[in-house]
Amino acid sequence: MSARHSLRCFSRGLALSLSKPYLAVSLWLIQLLLASVLILPISNALHDELDHSVAGSRMVANPDAGWWETIQREHPDLLGKFPDLASGLLTAEGVKSSQLGELRGIGATSVALAMLGVVLHAFALGGIFGTLREPQASLVTFGREGMRRFPPFLAITLAALAAALFAYRWVYLETGIALKNRMQELDTEGRALMIMGVRVLALLLVLAAIKLVADAVRATWVARPDLPPISRLFTGVGGSLSRPLRLFGVLFWYVALTAILYLVWLVADPSAGGEARLALVPLILIQQVFVFMRLLVKVGYYAGVSEALSRDPSPEYSYVPTPSPVPSEPPAAASAPLE
Amino acid sequence: MLSAKARGSARAGACAALLAVLGAPLLLHAQEADLTPPIASYEISCRLDTDKKVVEGTELLTWTNRTSRPTDTLRFHLYLNAFRNTRSTLWRESRGEGRDGPMKESWGAIEILRMTLEDNTDLLPTFSFLSPDDGNPDDRTVAEVRLARPVAPGQTIRVSIDFRSKLPRVSRRTGYKGDFYLVAQWFPKVGVLEENGWNCHQFHASSEFFADFGNYDVSIDVPIRFRGKVGATGKQVEERASAAGDRLIYRFRQHSVHDFAWTVQPEYLVVRDHFHEAGLHDADITLLLQPEHARQAERHLRAAKAALSGYGRVLGPYPYDTLTIVDPPWGARAAGGMEYPTFITAGTSLSAPASVHRPEGVTIHEFGHQYFYGLLASNEFEEPYLDEGFNTYMTDRVLASAYGPNHPVLSVFGWNFALGIDLHYPVDANRRFFPVATRDIHATWSWRYRDRQAYGPLVYSHTALALATLERLLGTNTMDRALRLYADRWRFRHPHLPDFVAAVAETTGRDWSWYFDRTFFSSGSVDYAVDQAESVPSKPTKGLFEKDGKLSEGPPPELASARGWDSVVTVVRRGETALPVEVLLRFAGGKSFRTLWDGQARWTRFTVSRGPKLIEAIVDPDEKILLDANRFNNGRRVDGDPRAAARWTSRAVYWVQNQIDFLTVAW
Repeated sequence: MSARHSLRCFSRGLALSLSKPYLAVSLWLIQLLLASVLILPISNALHDELDHSVAGSRMVANPDAGWWETIQREHPDLLGKFPDLASGLLTAEGVKSSQLGELRGIGATSVALAMLGVVLHAFALGGIFGTLREPQASLVTFGREGMRRFPPFLAITLAALAAALFAYRWVYLETGIALKNRMQELDTEGRALMIMGVRVLALLLVLAAIKLVADAVRATWVARPDLPPISRLFTGVGGSLSRPLRLFGVLFWYVALTAILYLVWLVADPSAGGEARLALVPLILIQQVFVFMRLLVKVGYYAGVSEALSRDPSPEYSYVPTPSPVPSEPPAAASAPLE
Repeated sequence: MLSAKARGSARAGACAALLAVLGAPLLLHAQEADLTPPIASYEISCRLDTDKKVVEGTELLTWTNRTSRPTDTLRFHLYLNAFRNTRSTLWRESRGEGRDGPMKESWGAIEILRMTLEDNTDLLPTFSFLSPDDGNPDDRTVAEVRLARPVAPGQTIRVSIDFRSKLPRVSRRTGYKGDFYLVAQWFPKVGVLEENGWNCHQFHASSEFFADFGNYDVSIDVPIRFRGKVGATGKQVEERASAAGDRLIYRFRQHSVHDFAWTVQPEYLVVRDHFHEAGLHDADITLLLQPEHARQAERHLRAAKAALSGYGRVLGPYPYDTLTIVDPPWGARAAGGMEYPTFITAGTSLSAPASVHRPEGVTIHEFGHQYFYGLLASNEFEEPYLDEGFNTYMTDRVLASAYGPNHPVLSVFGWNFALGIDLHYPVDANRRFFPVATRDIHATWSWRYRDRQAYGPLVYSHTALALATLERLLGTNTMDRALRLYADRWRFRHPHLPDFVAAVAETTGRDWSWYFDRTFFSSGSVDYAVDQAESVPSKPTKGLFEKDGKLSEGPPPELASARGWDSVVTVVRRGETALPVEVLLRFAGGKSFRTLWDGQARWTRFTVSRGPKLIEAIVDPDEKILLDANRFNNGRRVDGDPRAAARWTSRAVYWVQNQIDFLTVAW
């Protein structure tokens, strides 16, 4: 039942997203602007290293592991330990905050950009939820609603981020440390992997719960302007607690569709093959189209959450404006003689 | 697949039985003849107490003084005492770090309960511990006994020893985990007597072993639950029940080896196979595999056969009849990746992508030790690169020829995935050397390297790259002849690096000691680069020229009409170590110029006036100098090609966009 409801909410959300593509365009522009900060440093470094190098012509299509190692060794200030940090996220030991101190150059800048992205995300979510509520909305609505909701949404976003970091530490890192020796005493690697899987699953569930509570609060915040802020907060939390399966379902469909998109990208791998496959401009266009499609799905998810909380099936968490009085028909028409 | 192997094995077993019945004793006798005169032979009877994690044994050592001097002492390795407490040299040097994380506080030790000569002379009153390497008074890994009468040159003595070995939880090579036992460095083992005295080093954090050859006859008494799940150095010659019927006694024999290790685990999946290749010695392969790795049996066996073939073709046939491969269980990986005579431990994981050479790499590498550690038996304490380094070089060759390029692994929460990026042997496999290239001199005693981060890359990777570079300078055929000469001449004789240098000189007819001086005995890095490659249209000749005996303005017609390009190439040596390198200049129209530069100066320059346009300049165009720390600066094109940089910029920006999206999705 919940699966069907959640799929219906997500589908409606996707339809809403497709009907307001400027929302995805706005997100795409924000992300592109953030990423563009790194274009020049990356481009200059690469052109410097590859343009006149004989190795450069070999790397049009495929990466060269030796070149990557050499670059990191010869230019430690370019990234610092950023690759270790990124891959460390996927290890049993995880990443500790002290590792941020080992970032340099582009690596350190990308973390700063991610923080800026989080802040801008708060603005974008205000715009998205606000715009989704208005049938006759435009890009102007997005900007207005984003600015209008920015302070509370930033607070919600930062609180969710803090909760996520807290969960990462206590659900993942600390359990890893606590179990490290016991894991070694298990009979088989299969069992160790199972425990590892349980840790990852627990972390993902907690992160999903944090996200859904935060999104429910945001949706309710926009949907119930008649309530004072504290009531909106509790109503949002209550909304997420009262229909968790449906919300999890919406999140599940969003994650599944996004994963499928990534899978298609990885299998198709349009970047491979060098100039023989795609020239530079078509490659960039395909990349950006993919990003845009993913953002359409993302907006669809937020619309789906809004649907799940406020419209389907009952509007108990929704503020439905009282219908405006309809002007009555002219008496003459009303008193037209019946035939 | 496995059942087919098993059937083949059964057929082989049946053939062996038939041969035995039909009078093969002569043949068997020939195979079991000593390959080298024994120096230290052992007859050991031991009993495993699984409750106490103790091996109790009686050892009869038959030792011959093959030096020209008498000795009135015997020195023994008591390696297990390295695990005795935190004051041992091993603990101090390693700071408690094991091979895969902190060492467990599970102590191991070896006690000598009795030590007598044939005439019942008790040697224990003269027993004392020594620390010849670091003077650590708390280290108990080397002991000495004084003999009443010196052992004359050529004389043989027999020493009877009772000992008790307490095994530690596996954290470095030896010990137990649950019901898994890897029993290595477990018995009192005599050192090596050289002309200038005993060579008997302590157990260090960064060192392996050194011993004399002999014959081993070992009986292992284990609980009955280990039936059929015992592996050891050499050939199993007997399995019988104890008098009480609750235990089994396995007997193994091996001639002409210098160590003995064994293992038991009730869960072992035992897979047998046989190696046969024309021109090489046959060998029975026994694979003791963890049941959860059953699907990887064929991979282990294929790797073992590739190694038997690859090493055998270059270094001579593997002379022993058996090879046992052990796959340690989860939590005991610190016992993996080790070599003992005819007995190796490998290691794999549940998710081992087919295109990633693990377990293949470790199986081939550990087998390769059968030559450098086993047959040549160099002193791993003093010249560790002669084993680990030479073996890494050969491992890379066998892997490259049998499997092609390797692939990097992305580990996602313990589950491994192969990335579609080629890692080429030997350079990519040994990249860990470059960051530490200048940290220490290569030819150093194993425990005297600056730190563990320097030891591995220098001993393993630097040697491999230096030998691979030498192979490219000499040619593979010449290199193979030099290796074969070295392996044949020094088999069972503990060679040193100068012996290999001499083999190279003898093979090539030239002195190559300069090469070893600059690589093995240097701490310098190698890096050649093309610093400048320019080509500009030649400018018209102008000025005053002699014409009919007078100076007049304007060049003679033959100069005035000259066209072409002026090109300048500057090649620099950025590293400290100088090696001869070739330089190639490629010009438009297909012309090229190749020359050999001795590489001694910091830079050299090539200029071409009024020639064709220079396209590119490359130093070391055939990539012979694999020690070059940065081969990506070895070539320079005159005209830039921005395609690669532009594409990788677009990819990088695209993944930054994805990353930002991922980071903002959760909150």
